Amino acid sequence: MKPGPFDYARPATVERAAALLAGSGFAKLLSGGQSLGPMLNLRLARPDLLVDLTHIASLKEIRETKDFLEIGACVTHANIEDGLVPDCTNGMLPSVASNIAYRAVRNRGTIGGSLSHADPAADWVSTLTVLDAEIVIRGAKGQRRVPMANYMLGTFEVALEEGEFLEAVRVPRFSKSARWGYYKFCRKAGEFAEAIGAVVRDPERGVCRAVMGATHSTPILVADATALIGQGFDAAAAGALLDRHEITDAYERQLHVEALRRATVQAGA
Amino acid sequence: MEKLTLTVNGKKVSAEVQPRTHLADFLREQVVLTGTHIGCEHGVCGACTLLIDGQPARSCITFAIACEGADVTTIEGLDDDEVMVQLRTAFSREHALQCGYCTPGMLAMARDIVRRLPNADEQRIRLELSGNLCRCTGYVGIVGAIRSVLEARKGTAAVPLPEKLGPVGSQGLASETVTADVKHEPKPIPPEAFAPTKIAPGPDLPMGKPATVINQSFTVHRPRPEVWAQFGDIASTATCMPGAKLSKPPEGGHVEAEIRIKFGPIVAQFQGELDVERDDAQFRGVAHGRGRDDRQGALVRAEVTYALAEVEGGAATRVDVTVGFTLAGPLAQFSRSGLVNDFASRLTAEFARNLEARMAGGSEAILPAEELSTVSLFFSVVWGRVKRLFARS
Repeated sequence: MKPGPFDYARPATVERAAALLAGSGFAKLLSGGQSLGPMLNLRLARPDLLVDLTHIASLKEIRETKDFLEIGACVTHANIEDGLVPDCTNGMLPSVASNIAYRAVRNRGTIGGSLSHADPAADWVSTLTVLDAEIVIRGAKGQRRVPMANYMLGTFEVALEEGEFLEAVRVPRFSKSARWGYYKFCRKAGEFAEAIGAVVRDPERGVCRAVMGATHSTPILVADATALIGQGFDAAAAGALLDRHEITDAYERQLHVEALRRATVQAGA
Repeated sequence: MEKLTLTVNGKKVSAEVQPRTHLADFLREQVVLTGTHIGCEHGVCGACTLLIDGQPARSCITFAIACEGADVTTIEGLDDDEVMVQLRTAFSREHALQCGYCTPGMLAMARDIVRRLPNADEQRIRLELSGNLCRCTGYVGIVGAIRSVLEARKGTAAVPLPEKLGPVGSQGLASETVTADVKHEPKPIPPEAFAPTKIAPGPDLPMGKPATVINQSFTVHRPRPEVWAQFGDIASTATCMPGAKLSKPPEGGHVEAEIRIKFGPIVAQFQGELDVERDDAQFRGVAHGRGRDDRQGALVRAEVTYALAEVEGGAATRVDVTVGFTLAGPLAQFSRSGLVNDFASRLTAEFARNLEARMAGGSEAILPAEELSTVSLFFSVVWGRVKRLFARS
């Protein structure tokens, strides 16, 4: 299986990338290519132009402030796994990164690419939602920011307008006492997740969030999960959430509830 | 063709490549290094794993042109590598290969495990190796070989990890390349290419058992006779479908139309025809459709049945729709049915919304089809979100 023909552009700056995107027919952004590559090879995707962002130096940078850590779009899962990216989440980011697909994929796959592809089963989709991260978006008109919970709109759909791309993500800093839990069910190590449970408890910052991810659409976020996980895990409440999101399959429900329960236990709730 | 310069096994290589050529094909076909094997060609089997900038990566889902300035090492370039010498001996001794097809990829990963994780136990080895599939010996010999090398090297420290951020292969240069000035005009696939399954004229194309069946229901806040009449206006109803527009005015129950579907990176534009039969007594209809997308090389056959039921004491109408369809061509490879169902329900919600808007506004308020098709997908996702927002509270 070989991709259909496409043009290729390798801009050196974000401004040039935005200009290229704005002035083309059906263009797709290429980062590590670990999700788009298979779709191109299978000819599910037939873009006219690929805009390769991986040679833009500013997209491979890290910025730290006292409140957040900003990770450039083209930073790889392996970079985060290996601790090249400072951790502000008491180990959550490197732990999640180290279980994404396989090492040979993590060496090229990027955090920005994964979030823009917006596969519901992707680890970063659930993780950055539970972390209340902010997405920094670049377009021809400049920069804007949206919370992760408003960034993904549905399967493969994100809040990027024509000519925009994800430039970086901002992860809020955990306080020292913050705890987290993350559990995913996969048929085989490295495969697409069937259910993801993610929990962050950071009382110092007043944060208690939970996510049921790897649904068939956006992750289910409970922004205030005090009732759900505050006094131990409330399986009935988790089931009610699935009801509201019309997840009816008994097997799927069991996986989602159990993944969240295990994440809750890991977070010490 | 574009100029590409990179280092392969320590030697500088310059060549002309098409942007779509992946690294494994480039190495095998143009550099004639056939030690890199191609298995699944979509990043699942691991056979094509080699080293880019010293780290293991999949060469089948890495485009050669994206590796400008990179340092690539194939299995041929590791003949004298200290760890590889040990691994080769161990693989032979432990019967870690039979047909040998997965072996170059297995060795690339095995070397990475030995160097990066000197204390790996069996469970960790198996986890790290889970992206490389072997179909003949199984994994006992392979894992045993790696364990024996780790054992022999006990006390050796882990090799330092790369310090540069970003995908391996992207570190080579920061200069700009744009090949987009010359547009590739994708050649439409000639209809003869589809001869065996060519769309037959007329409504009696045998449908067979559809590969995918999706059931959807929605409620329109209008009495049933009104909704039934609206469905009878095929031109108006068909263009409530996001991305759909008519190719020419309908003749009786026969419609020629096109529909553009965008599902993330997957974009399809089907042209086809639809034949609708209606049962006025039962408030039921059935539509048989056929379509093709020449760019994707895709064919679709579909059977849509709909039934109208009175609800809310006759004030509203529930529409139950069953869509059965069979796809042929590359699109048929997309096998994640849960995601397809979710997408279908978003389309249905959008269709229902358009339909209701159109009925509320009467014929004057009908949006032009083009306008619908461009805005509709945005609305459909926003609509899904709004629905969920309310569901949450």
